[in-house]
Amino acid sequence: MRLLTHNMLSCNIKGVTNGFPLRIEVEKSMEKEVDFNIDFLKSIFSKVEWTALVEAARSLGYNDLPEEVVDSSTMLESSDFLKKFHHALLELHLEEGALICPETGRRFPVNKGIPNMLLHEDEV
Amino acid sequence: MQGRFIFDVLGVKCLNRSQKIPSSVFVAMSSYRLKALNTMAGSQVNTASNSVVLDDESRNKGKKSFSVQSTPDIEKKYVHHVYDAIAPHFSSTRFAKWPKVATFLNSLPQGAVVLDAGCGNGKYLGFNPDCFYIGCDISPSLISICAGRGHEVLVADAVNLPYRTGFVDAAISIAVLHHLSTENRRRKAIEELIRVVHKGGLVLITVWAVEQEDTSLVNKWTPLEHKFGEEWVGPGSPRIRCSPTLTLQSIPEREEASLGNQIKGDDLQKMPAIPHVTSREGGDMVASTNGIIGNQQEYFVPWHLPYHRAEVSGTSACAVADGFARKDDKKGAVVYNRYYHVFVEGELERLSSGIENARIRDQFYDKSNWCIILEKT
Repeated sequence: MRLLTHNMLSCNIKGVTNGFPLRIEVEKSMEKEVDFNIDFLKSIFSKVEWTALVEAARSLGYNDLPEEVVDSSTMLESSDFLKKFHHALLELHLEEGALICPETGRRFPVNKGIPNMLLHEDEV
Repeated sequence: MQGRFIFDVLGVKCLNRSQKIPSSVFVAMSSYRLKALNTMAGSQVNTASNSVVLDDESRNKGKKSFSVQSTPDIEKKYVHHVYDAIAPHFSSTRFAKWPKVATFLNSLPQGAVVLDAGCGNGKYLGFNPDCFYIGCDISPSLISICAGRGHEVLVADAVNLPYRTGFVDAAISIAVLHHLSTENRRRKAIEELIRVVHKGGLVLITVWAVEQEDTSLVNKWTPLEHKFGEEWVGPGSPRIRCSPTLTLQSIPEREEASLGNQIKGDDLQKMPAIPHVTSREGGDMVASTNGIIGNQQEYFVPWHLPYHRAEVSGTSACAVADGFARKDDKKGAVVYNRYYHVFVEGELERLSSGIENARIRDQFYDKSNWCIILEKT
């Protein structure tokens, strides 16, 4: 699971209002190289919840993202920033572990990089 | 039969897998298949017409109150369980890309985040390299196949998508909604697709049509009866009993080229005319040249899993023992049934019209499928 995916996942248990972002519990992480695409990074940037990405990257052991991006138009011209953004968003993978709902504590397991977001009968 | 019984995930008794079942029993089992199958499904067999009756209970067995997002038994048994059992074989038959889906995906802007809800074997994931695709499916086996190909995927339910509202740019639902057994669930799935795209985002939905181009294929399906219930609205209620024109025993191997889901190169050139549908008054369809009788929309559609593809010790043996599948020695295949609610003309439109922030941008019929493109407003 890449962190771009993590950035769009939310706990969908009935009644939960604060299901994002899911906390990451890491058992095994990996890095997989992905082609650098500046246009994609620039267009996706505005959608990404930055704090969630920073925290998620940190839980996977990557601490090089700036805490916040104040001036995005300048930052998005910086190749140094783009490389770090690219790395965190697309190249870090959670292989084994879990995603945890911040409101209920419910664990969604991640195995072989695949999160299982299916709910139990009593959660719908 | 003697032996220990074990319970599988569905809570269904399954004979101890180490037991051998004599072939004479298989013959006996197949002729009583309908009875056994329906006893477990909590429904009744009408032996006169040989049709299968499903009551509301069998759709949600044992649940006192259920939400639209609870999975009915018929879907667990005849959709989820089946796809998990046939996943690798199913995946091997799913490679051709429909031109209409390709056109839609190619029309998306560069850098778009695209969701494929019910992605199956991931056929459309990574279609355009400029976009970021995320796939989800209810079948862990199919998702495993996608992941093996390097796609970004997760296991999730189409009626309860785990994505933040308004994040993705576009969503596709290709041959998925016809596996949902109630109108409310089908509508909910469309609502979820609309929810996850941002304002102005597009959703493409395709489903199998009642109006099939190849009418001989419909004859291989088993029509299902549904007792009239409050969720049964729209064309075709109350249900008319339908007697199948073919027994279940000998079914020619056709469904892998099923119904527009797979186009070989030269098939693209042969496009039969849309079958004529008569008498649309009151939203009812009458019998016409397309092989559909009355208002039948609920079916079991067979899938033939060749013996050499079925696991020796596992799912298929158990499925046969439980009556969910049967062996066809003549074909050397285990035959599974998949549940389908095929859509009539206008049904997708009607479902979508009830959704507040969805606007219909386009709708069309393509190779035995009804298709719709919605925009979130």
